[in-house]
Amino acid sequence: MKTYLGVDVGSVTTKLALIDGSLNTLASIYLRTRGNPVDMVKEGLEEIKEQMPPEAEICGVATTGSGRYLAGVILGADLVKNEITAHAVAAMHYMPDVQTIFEIGGQDSKVIIIRDGIVIDFGMNSVCAAGTGSFLEHQAERLNIRIEDFGGHALRSGNPARIAGRCTVFAESDMIHKQQMGYPIDDIIYGLCQSMVRNYLNNVALGKEIRPKMAFQGGVAFNKGIVRAFNETFDTEVYISPHNELMGAIGAAFLVKEEMENNHGKTSFAGFGISETEYKTSSFICKACPNLCEISQISVNGKVLARWGGRCDMWERIEGK
Amino acid sequence: MIKVGIPRALSYYQYYPGWKTFFEKLGAEVVISSLTNKAILNFGVSRAVADTCLPVKIFLGHVISLIGKCDYVFVPAITSLGEKTYNCSKIIGLPNMVRALIPECPTILDPEINLEKGRYYLYRNIYKLGRYFSSNPVKFKKAVEEAWEGNLAYRRKMSHEKITAIQAIDRIYGEDCAPAPSLDPPEELTVAVVGHPYVVYDDYINHRLIFRLQSMGAKVLVPEMVPEGELAIAARKLVGETHWSFEDEIIGAGEYYLEEKVDGIINLAVFGCGPDSMMVSFVQHRAKELKIPFLPLSLDEHSSEGALLTRLEAFLDMVKRRKKI
Repeated sequence: MKTYLGVDVGSVTTKLALIDGSLNTLASIYLRTRGNPVDMVKEGLEEIKEQMPPEAEICGVATTGSGRYLAGVILGADLVKNEITAHAVAAMHYMPDVQTIFEIGGQDSKVIIIRDGIVIDFGMNSVCAAGTGSFLEHQAERLNIRIEDFGGHALRSGNPARIAGRCTVFAESDMIHKQQMGYPIDDIIYGLCQSMVRNYLNNVALGKEIRPKMAFQGGVAFNKGIVRAFNETFDTEVYISPHNELMGAIGAAFLVKEEMENNHGKTSFAGFGISETEYKTSSFICKACPNLCEISQISVNGKVLARWGGRCDMWERIEGK
Repeated sequence: MIKVGIPRALSYYQYYPGWKTFFEKLGAEVVISSLTNKAILNFGVSRAVADTCLPVKIFLGHVISLIGKCDYVFVPAITSLGEKTYNCSKIIGLPNMVRALIPECPTILDPEINLEKGRYYLYRNIYKLGRYFSSNPVKFKKAVEEAWEGNLAYRRKMSHEKITAIQAIDRIYGEDCAPAPSLDPPEELTVAVVGHPYVVYDDYINHRLIFRLQSMGAKVLVPEMVPEGELAIAARKLVGETHWSFEDEIIGAGEYYLEEKVDGIINLAVFGCGPDSMMVSFVQHRAKELKIPFLPLSLDEHSSEGALLTRLEAFLDMVKRRKKI
């Protein structure tokens, strides 16, 4: 059986999904990246190997997410794709009439506008990462509750507190003030959810034509408080994509399937053996010019596989490759 | 020979050939700072107030890098370049900022260019500037005329030959510049990049944006490839009277290229730019009206280019998919 693997290495979590030729998801895994993308890709691959049916054969691998280049090198990916395209492709498969996709991840948030099955516009958070999963996680930590319990608290709120959401620093001082005033924790938490949705719609989605049907995906879609805030804002139901946390990985798998079928190519997948391979990542400062670029590289047994981080191509060329 | 240092930042990209001619005709030698690099950025960031925008911080860094290499540093105060238009306050106050933040700076040549105050004011300021080099007013006049001509020729060169400011300076002086990208893949798309020259051409702060786009198979158009007069006409068409100096390179270029039906338009701005925050909205609305994909990019000190690449890749993917129908 022909199968295709999509790997989404995000800032906070790493997702892997294996699909068959008819686009069914056969195996998947959702892991915390914990700042260690290399080990998480290896661990995820091992997990996929255990879950996959014995007759399955991997015929294509694609990577996406902010760690896509690094993961692409380790896995020998056939395709390295940005996460906007991957998310849109997956959402359109599960919801062919979707017109708007909200995607909120750990470090970035996006809105994707689709008309007639084509991405016609998208928005992404600009300089700062306020209004993303990390913001909520940080606030949960401050309130000393688990992020998993965040949604439950928000759903119990009857009278949400108004919290400034433009900037994490402002939100935090506003929140501390509300705490000191004795607001119940449920109202503070739902107030935070509302402020985050407001911030998202006023920044990332500013000027975008948001029409139903709307899909919500990415790790933050697990948070029932944010879902409630979205539903209340639009006064309509925002659909949570099935496998919302895996959509990037699934989309990448769809794209590589399409690519491999069109090109009839043979996959460059490095094989399951990479779980055993010892990858070494290191970095150094290039002193060739005053830019002093930080070059990072990944190598196996002293052989360099790839390098990044230069402002010129000097280190990107690898001998014997 | 007297050495005049010109920082390779801000208005450098618009006026370098003119200024170089002026000082050389007065018998001075012109020294320019190197391309922006990490050291220059760090110099600038360490001196400036945090609220200052990135291009001004970089300008300060360039000034610092010229210390010890020249007798004078040229920091003009470009207040107004036309009737009822003004420049950003950070540019108007640039000489004062340099003086306050870089006390060890060599003597600053800081003529105010303020066309709102009329020609006589400009002549007087040029006369004062000329006195640093010569006592012969006829010589100043000749230098100014030649500088003016040289700069017009530079501007015309960009629009005639459809080249960027970097390429034009390179062709005029044969200096080192960013490498031209390989154009093996046929250009499938045309993308216009609108923004101030000091953002569009500073490869350090924009992470080689033009080069990246070209290597992804896009033909890149910049505002300077359009004659100045046509930019002004396009800007007036979209907003009526303009009020900011350098409005034409954003609003004018945006409108011009949108009417030309480019496949996509990218606005390159820096975080915290007041004038841009207004100008860009006009272009964004117009792009929406004409249903042309628009990508706003906001740059700051970030050294990681990953976020920028993701946006560029997704934008070009979208433009390609839209073009197929």
